[in-house]
Amino acid sequence: MSAIRSRLMMSALLAGGIALIPATACDRLPGRPKAAQSAQEGSPEWTVEVFNTSCRGCHAQGAVGAAVPLMDSAYWRAASDEQVTRGVLEGQGMLMPAFGLSGGGPFTPAQASALTRGMRALWGGGAQKSPEISGTLVAGNASNGKSVFDVACAGCHGVGGSAGSVTDPMYLRLISDQGLWTAVVAGRKALGSPAWNEPMPGRPNGLTTVEVADVVAYLSSQRPRSMSELKP
Amino acid sequence: MKPPRVVGMAIDWVEARTGAVAFLAPLLTHHVPRNAKWWYVFGSATLMFFTIQLVTGVCLATLYAPSAAEAWESLRYIDEEVPFGWMLRALHGWSSNAMVVMMAIHMLQVFLHASYKFPRELNWVTGVFLLFTVLALAFTGQVMRWDQDAYWGLGIGASIADRIPVIGNQVRGLLLGGPIIGGETLSRFFALHVFVLPGAALGLIGLHLALIMKNGISEMPKVGATVEPATYRAEYEQRMEKDGVPFYPDAAQRDMVFCGACLVLLVVLAAVYGPFGPGGQPDPTLIDTNPRPDYPFLWIFGAVSLLPPASETAVMLVAPLVGVLALVAVPFFANAGERAPSRRPGMVLIASLAVMAVAALTWEGKTSPWSPVMNAWSALPTPEHFLAGRTPLEVQGANVFQFAQCRNCHSLDGLGGERGPALDAIATRMTPDQLMRQIQQGDGNMPAFGRNLDSAQMTALVSFLSTLRPEFEAPAVIPGAQLPLPVQRMPGEVVTPVAVGSQ
Ligand code: HEC
Ligand code: HEC
Repeated sequence: MSAIRSRLMMSALLAGGIALIPATACDRLPGRPKAAQSAQEGSPEWTVEVFNTSCRGCHAQGAVGAAVPLMDSAYWRAASDEQVTRGVLEGQGMLMPAFGLSGGGPFTPAQASALTRGMRALWGGGAQKSPEISGTLVAGNASNGKSVFDVACAGCHGVGGSAGSVTDPMYLRLISDQGLWTAVVAGRKALGSPAWNEPMPGRPNGLTTVEVADVVAYLSSQRPRSMSELKP
Repeated sequence: MKPPRVVGMAIDWVEARTGAVAFLAPLLTHHVPRNAKWWYVFGSATLMFFTIQLVTGVCLATLYAPSAAEAWESLRYIDEEVPFGWMLRALHGWSSNAMVVMMAIHMLQVFLHASYKFPRELNWVTGVFLLFTVLALAFTGQVMRWDQDAYWGLGIGASIADRIPVIGNQVRGLLLGGPIIGGETLSRFFALHVFVLPGAALGLIGLHLALIMKNGISEMPKVGATVEPATYRAEYEQRMEKDGVPFYPDAAQRDMVFCGACLVLLVVLAAVYGPFGPGGQPDPTLIDTNPRPDYPFLWIFGAVSLLPPASETAVMLVAPLVGVLALVAVPFFANAGERAPSRRPGMVLIASLAVMAVAALTWEGKTSPWSPVMNAWSALPTPEHFLAGRTPLEVQGANVFQFAQCRNCHSLDGLGGERGPALDAIATRMTPDQLMRQIQQGDGNMPAFGRNLDSAQMTALVSFLSTLRPEFEAPAVIPGAQLPLPVQRMPGEVVTPVAVGSQ
């Protein structure tokens, strides 16, 4: 009987001892969840973390992405901070979702602009926004734009061109005017698409700012106004 | 060591007014079979884990905010700011799994020893109901985490309810508190998890224990010692009288040692592995996907993932029903005769097959690339060689591919979800028409995107997918065009463009 009792005592002591572990060493136990410590907002680490989880899927690791590559200094020369921040908060066109709180996303306006500044610091290559051309869409003349397009763009984007159509109504449905503006101004070097001030057929010195506005107005005018024009 | 006199006086005082000792003493000293040894500890361990669930559960209920807006945050608060909060959650989570496991072992032992035979049929039946109550507690508990797993787990639960003929919609509404998963849903599951189900479990446990007291604990099965309902009870009582030992301390000490060991293991597991989840915040804007459920349900999901989709409705609805009925029917189907496993090879075979099936299916549920990768759409870039040389429309299609979260289930270049097949070379397998149909209508475990994509998105997506083949070549560069940089077309292959000066 006393053997039983001492055995019981032993196991009770053991159990009690083990149960004390959490009480004494609670903070150092491996099971304790790590506090979600995120990097200082606006710091380079924070910027990279946000970019990698929320933006990289479309905006590329490097210079070739499905959407405009944000690690590309050409983009940062073309885009203004206000424009980028607005895009982050409100979304743009059909395929860029809004990431602002008011649009159902995670970012406050302050965070969005911290992100913009952080990305420019990391990937802008020290470049400020080029003062020569606006970062935001400027209204232009579509019929002048057509003549510019026929000379400067059609070689690549016309029928049989190597770069594929940019007047395809399906394509134009998906991209906003601001998206077209950025595409023409910044180009996509890695995909072989020239920036606005780089040589193009018939425009050895690139386009003028007025021509950029006109050609974007032309492209925009080709966009179908309603879905019914769009039957595949 | 003799207890001080005052203790004895206090006990006498209470005894005189309640009769508690007179009531409890026979419970503690009733005779149990001498030869049972360590076989009968599993039921007690299950009860211990249930007690731990009650205690930790009550503590957690004081800290948890059962509203859709605050639940997730309140778990973070418990984990990070409440002293020992995370330990409380870890104990509650691990003890829940341990209880399910212990219960399964207990049932298996009872089944193998045929302890469910006369007069203990109802012990078994209450046990089966307890099993399902505990599983329901585990399921509703997972919902309390209110993270993505919980959210999508509910989605699946709702879609199962939806499949019930005729009243499917009503059942779904009753479960979710509305047509969709929302704040109502959490309140409803909270009420189930902390009031209804624990109440039911307590009642069933009381009944189960009362039946055990009434019918006594079965002896170890012996070849030739058959159960004859007409004479069994009298003979059993006689044998206990002659050869039994008092429950306390002879059998109880084994229970205590085993429970102590279980407790130690539980604390170690909780301390080392910590609490479960919460995973990411639930996000209703994500397209329908499938979750990975908690352990006790992994095998069910493993089974569903192996099923041909056409049979899912039948199996998901009918199988659980058949399971419950079969379990309840066991003691009625064979309530007399031999108890020894060696004389019941068929039953032993059934039990081993069941154990192997559950183990294999759990493994399948655990390892099958079951869950989508929730943030693949926003985190994993499209590999360059799937973009180079594509038309603007096709490149926008790559954006649609991310935007519609195809990437969460389908990988490119080995990166992305593995819920569906990799699409690296999909254009070699499917024509644009087939692609369009697949995306619009879905198929098996792939959701239908017909209503979520407009025709421009669909066209772009299909034209992008149609370029996903190994031999894809960009269209030839025509003269008159000047490319500023070499264009990369295929991995490793750099084609220097034909640079022709503008005429
Ligand atoms: C040297 C050939 C060339 C010339 C000239 C050229 N582009 Fe491009 N363009 C490209 C290539 C290559 C792409 C990348 C293809 C892609 O996005 O799939 C491209 C892409 C585009 C895009 C799509 C960008 C996107 O993100 O969707 C637009 C819009 C565009 N070009 C407009 C123009 C306009 C307007 C002009 C004339 C001012 C022009 N391009 C001149 C080669 C050219
Ligand atoms: C919830 C996960 C999931 C999502 C999201 C998803 N799919 Fe699927 N997809 C699957 C599964 C699973 C299959 C296998 C279908 C089956 O059971 O036959 C599949 C099959 C396919 C197939 C046929 C592949 C083959 O080799 O037969 C294509 C093409 C496809 N999906 C494209 C897409 C596209 C495009 C999207 C985005 C619009 C998408 N999927 C989104 C899960 C998903």
